[in-house]
Amino acid sequence: MRNSRTALFLCVVLAAACKKQTASQEQPSGGTAPAGQTVAAPGADTIRVGATLPLTGAEARTGGFYKEGYELAFEEATKNGGVDVGGKKMAVQLTLLDDTSTQATAASLADRLINSDKVNFLLGTYATNLVEAQSVVAEQNQIPYVNGGGAATAIYKRGYKWVFGLLAPVELLAESIMKWIDTQQKAGKLPKPATIALLWENTSHGKDFRKGVTEFADKSKNYKVTVDESFELNGKDFSALLGKVKAANTDLFLADAHLPDYITMQRQYVTAGMCHKIQSYGARGSEKQAAESLTPKNVQYILSAVWWSNQLSSKSPEAKRFVDLFKAKYGGRAPEWYQALGYETVRALFAAITQAGSLDRDAVRQKLAALKIPSLLPGGELTFPAEFGQQSHAPFVVQQNLPDGTSPIVAPPDAATGTGIAPNPGCAK
Amino acid sequence: MDRFAELVIASVLLAGLYATMAYGLGLIYGVLRIVNLNHGGMIMAGAYAGWYLHSEYGIDPYLSLLPVAAVSFLLGIAMYRGLVHRLPRGAAGGVQSLLLLFGVWLVMRNVAYLLFTGNDQTLRTSYSTRAAVLAGALVSVNRVAVFAVALATLIILHILLTRTYLGKAIRAVAQNPDSCTLVGIRVERIYALTFGLGTALAAIAGLLGATLFPFNPSFGAGELLKSFVVVVLGGLGSVAGTAIAALILAAVEVFAILFIPAYLTAAVGFVLLVLVLVLRPGGLFGQRVLG
Repeated sequence: MRNSRTALFLCVVLAAACKKQTASQEQPSGGTAPAGQTVAAPGADTIRVGATLPLTGAEARTGGFYKEGYELAFEEATKNGGVDVGGKKMAVQLTLLDDTSTQATAASLADRLINSDKVNFLLGTYATNLVEAQSVVAEQNQIPYVNGGGAATAIYKRGYKWVFGLLAPVELLAESIMKWIDTQQKAGKLPKPATIALLWENTSHGKDFRKGVTEFADKSKNYKVTVDESFELNGKDFSALLGKVKAANTDLFLADAHLPDYITMQRQYVTAGMCHKIQSYGARGSEKQAAESLTPKNVQYILSAVWWSNQLSSKSPEAKRFVDLFKAKYGGRAPEWYQALGYETVRALFAAITQAGSLDRDAVRQKLAALKIPSLLPGGELTFPAEFGQQSHAPFVVQQNLPDGTSPIVAPPDAATGTGIAPNPGCAK
Repeated sequence: MDRFAELVIASVLLAGLYATMAYGLGLIYGVLRIVNLNHGGMIMAGAYAGWYLHSEYGIDPYLSLLPVAAVSFLLGIAMYRGLVHRLPRGAAGGVQSLLLLFGVWLVMRNVAYLLFTGNDQTLRTSYSTRAAVLAGALVSVNRVAVFAVALATLIILHILLTRTYLGKAIRAVAQNPDSCTLVGIRVERIYALTFGLGTALAAIAGLLGATLFPFNPSFGAGELLKSFVVVVLGGLGSVAGTAIAALILAAVEVFAILFIPAYLTAAVGFVLLVLVLVLRPGGLFGQRVLG
């Protein structure tokens, strides 16, 4: 009796534990309907698009941002009467599921969207590892899969025909940072050759970053990587690693880290009294949360490169239109690159459907492969070059945190909203 | 500053954190013979408690230690009385207790997602990035404070277990609960108090961890694994062994960077764990009965 009561209790506990996951897994939305509701039952005149995002779990925050971008794009399409397909406006419906930030769930939900929900097309999830798992399912089922959340080149080097990525590779991110550093070196502001301490997280993201920096250094001959170390994600103590960097006494400190590791490492970097002429954490650096966690003083002069910045709205009409739309929908809040990439991912798919003039998967795939549309991304144009495995190579914007608390774009020159400073004047103090 | 001395200091400070994380797990296993999988959940809860008290009421995290520990202690007792107590003792209840406490952890994690979302949180104080000079090296004031708390916890635990009636009762129950019943020790009460104490220690570890690095509802999983390594290395049920094992693990991880790539240093601890389990299954210091 006691055992059966215990077993019953265990079932209740486990059911409660799983309840939230199950409840949040299905969130069909379409047009102007709030998330979790469907405008109308899909008919023959409806384009059904499936997607998963990490709405719970480790990547929940970013998943929520992508969701805002997706919903804005669907709402805009609905306001315009639908998507033009062969001269006829068709309604759009998004079936959005929560992949709980796990690879297995992302892959199985993609399979469900294709084979049970019978969606016409798939939008991708966020984070390289999830996109990597999900893209296999899309390729196997031969369904166009457009994602704005997977940057690792490994995803696009498999010769897949049905997978399209909007995030330019992290190698290019590293190269963008190195190019700006190079201009400073050529201007005589940095030593020649300059020594580099290169730290990278042990993921495909980190490996791509390392490749970008080392290839640039090898090609230019004006840089020498003297510390080249990787570290595990979510590290608790970087003091030994930073000790190695300190002992090497390099000119540049270039790291690639996710936000939690950036905060932990920078905290230890500051307390160890370290300072470099140039410091970067790859895509991290300009986040408001980091400045709040570390104080603005401790993130000054950090360089970062991101796929998009809302500062581009002063340079690009497409970016301005998106920022205005986003602010109007979300109470004046300014979008970050996550929402912009989410929005642009949907727009790319809709543009290809319109160009194909039908919902035929192969026709849409071909149009995606040949797509060339004005874009809110830096460079102003979106393409999926075949030579890069259908991964966009839109340029990055390089930003630098300045003492006044702003992080202007310092490169590329045509997108710059401010002037960068090198070397870090704080090191002389 | 000599590089070797820097690494020694880094090892000692990291050991403080590891020891704090492992005390609670070791204590509960030593007395109740239960592997508390909710240890990770309580580490996460402690982190959020400290963060909430600081962000909402401006209470310094080190001042929050006592109230957080007190509330967690009561929560631990409630958890024991309401859940763990109902399971059969010994090997028969092993799998059930694992499942039950894992379930509790999942519930706590999902509740944290509902309350605080999946965003990374950080606990920033005026001294978060302050450094002090220790033996010629700049070290984080926070890490020194964490080490001091770990040391104080070890001393208090040692005194509690060796010099007080409660401690003696705990050790007696850990040795032979049936005989304790014969001499008038209320075994169930000791179990509840021990579970409460272990839970409070986990929450303290979480709060201290939150002063050092960002956290989210998934926080605690990696810490639970490290705690396992430390507890097994030190010998299940040995508090002093736990502290020494924490120092060994930290030193191995920190000094490993001199010989292997940094990303492999985290794995060194697990290699050590396997070696100890094969060569000395009772832990480096043998299977002791606390204290």
